[in-house]
Order: sequence, then structure tokens, then C-alpha cells
Amino acid sequence: MNGRIPILKLYNCLLISIQWELDDQTALQFQEDLLSKIHETGVGGVVIDLTSVDVIDSFIAKVLGDVVSMSHLMGAKVVLTGIQPAVAITLVELGIHLQDVRTALDLEKGLETLQRELGE
Amino acid sequence: MENATRMIEFIQANRGQLLQEWVEKMSSMDEQKLSTVITDQVYTNVGDEYINILVHDLINQDKQAKNKMRDFSQKLVQLGWNLNFIMDSLMEFSKIMFFHMVGEASEKEQIEFGWAYDKWVTPINKEVLNHYASSWQRTVSLQKIALQELSAPLIPIFDNITVMPLVGTIDTDRAKRIMENLLQGVVKHHAQVVLIDITGVPVVDTMVAHHIIQASEAVRLVGAKCLIVGIRPEIAQTIVNLGINLNQVVTKNSLQKGVAAALEMTNRKIVSVGE
Repeated sequence: MNGRIPILKLYNCLLISIQWELDDQTALQFQEDLLSKIHETGVGGVVIDLTSVDVIDSFIAKVLGDVVSMSHLMGAKVVLTGIQPAVAITLVELGIHLQDVRTALDLEKGLETLQRELGE
Repeated sequence: MENATRMIEFIQANRGQLLQEWVEKMSSMDEQKLSTVITDQVYTNVGDEYINILVHDLINQDKQAKNKMRDFSQKLVQLGWNLNFIMDSLMEFSKIMFFHMVGEASEKEQIEFGWAYDKWVTPINKEVLNHYASSWQRTVSLQKIALQELSAPLIPIFDNITVMPLVGTIDTDRAKRIMENLLQGVVKHHAQVVLIDITGVPVVDTMVAHHIIQASEAVRLVGAKCLIVGIRPEIAQTIVNLGINLNQVVTKNSLQKGVAAALEMTNRKIVSVGE
């Protein structure tokens, strides 16, 4: 399935829920879409929910890491939520630590974290 | 099958003598190891049973013989004799039989008899060996399961705080299981903070440290925080001497301090209710 990933605006956050396996093309498209959306809306926070993603390969992980750093440069804080245990294990075993990325258990906690950080 | 009938007759006629010789052999073979525990009576019983089975098998090769064999092997296993000794004993019996029966026969007869005897007794011995091996394997696999069950429990102690106490050495297999249990538990219990208690881990080498770091990284990715507690002085020394960098991970020296820190992270604290 090759389509664009929907990006929703919710108050001062962008909300992205990735519902299927990302291929390289979609991931890059997503990176561009998200950055232009941040530029367009000027939001302070982004939540990317990965609950329904069962597989993340090294390229997708790199893109995600890049997206986080890029958004940071544009002044938006990013939280990754709902990373599955199996995915976490794969990432760590691949040596991808996503060092400066905030994470949260689920969407709800992710939004809380973001609100707290934006509030401060 | 004249050899067979000869053998049966011979065994039945000389049973007492055969048994006695065999028992003597067995106890002399076993001087150092088991003779303090095992009396001659036991040898006699076992030997007697074995001969019974041989005869039974020879007369009527049926299912009952198989069952008897199974019982016998089970008994041997329960006695806890080591395999080497059992095999030696069985060989010894064959030798005794052979010497007695081919006493003054011609060479051709000797070979013929040896062949027939071998054909008869090998399946029985093999059966004993098989049973021994399989029961041993069963024990090992049961213990493995038991070990797995004990391997990595995850205990929720407060809302959003769970503890995983680790006891015993950690190998790669176990580390993998720990990681899986840990992450699944975090998701299941909605934990915000996980404490890994390594008080019971005797040795922390580079491999174990690597696994612990990986686990805590993975926990962070899933969206919780990971504390390592129960770092004993000698473990702290090994970690530093090995040049392992645990800077990414929060560490505490006891579970108690870890719990306090975890409560602090979740904006809570324990207060006494006295006046």
C-alpha cells in the first residue's frame, strides 16, 4: 500500500498515527509532509504513534530519527509513542538507540508528556 | 532356533551360578563408587530381574516382554547408577554367559553361538540404554522449563512502577527472555518506571552489562524509564574496571532507594500517617 500518511492538527500539536508498514518511499514522503506541515501550522509539538507498526527496519528508523532532529530544528518537540516490544528489541539489536528522542507508552501518555513540556 | 533353546536350558540350569558370578563381578567393578550405598542384595535383585527378562524375551517375544523391559530400565534409572556402569555390567553378563556356554565347543560353533547370542541380547541392551537416555533427557527438559519459569518475573509494586528481580547468572538465552518479559510487562502494566534488581546476579561481565544496557534502551523506546538497582560494591568495581559505560542508565545501590527514586519520577512520595 503506497499512500500518504495523514497528519492531523490537534490544538498546538500534530498527530500522526502510522497504521501500516512503512516503505522507504512513504517514509521519505512523510518526512517532507511533516516538515512542511510544521512550517505551515507553527505547532510546538508532534506525536507519532507507532502502535500498529510491527516491523521497523534500519532505514525507517533512521528516517524517524532524522524527522525528530529536523522537527527539533524547526522548534517542535517530538514524542514517539506505542513502540511495540518486538520493535524496540529489533531497534536496540540493530544498534539504533534514538538517543534524544522522547518516548511514551501510548498516545495518551505521549500527549501528556508533550503538554507538560510545552507548558514549562 | 536350537541355540535359543540351548540358551534357555542353560540359563535355567545354571541360574544360581551365573547370578553369583555376575554379582561378584559387579561389586568388584564398582568398588570405589557405589558399593557403600548399594548392597549385594540389590545387585542380586537387579541381576535376577535382568535374567528373567532375557528368558522371557527368548521364550515369547511379545508385548509383555517390551513392557517388562521398560519397567526394568525405569528401575535402573531410579537407582541412579551411572550409564557407564550399567553398560559395563550388561557386557560382563554377556561375557560370563559366553564363557560358560562355549567351554569346549569348536571354533565354528563358538562363532555361531556368539552371533545368535548377540542378535538376541543387543536389542534388549539397546532398549535399556534408550530408556536411560530418554529419561535423562526428560529430566533435563523439565529442569529447563522450571528454570524458564523462574527466569524473569515482573512484579508491579505500585501504579506504574514494576520491579524485575534477577537472581542467578545471566546468559544470552536468559537475557533475551528477560528483555521480552520486561518489555511485554511494561506495556501490559502500563509501567512508567521499571526497576531491574541485580542484587542476586553474582557476576556482571561485559556481556551481562551489555544485555542490561540493551534492555534499558529498549525500555526507553517503549516509553518507560529503567533503573538498575542493587549494584553491590564488587559489581561497581567490575563495571568500572571493565570500562563499561553505564552513564545512560540510572543506577541505585538498593531496591529501596530505587523505589524512592521511581516514586519521585512519577511525582509521588511515601509519607507516614502519624500525628
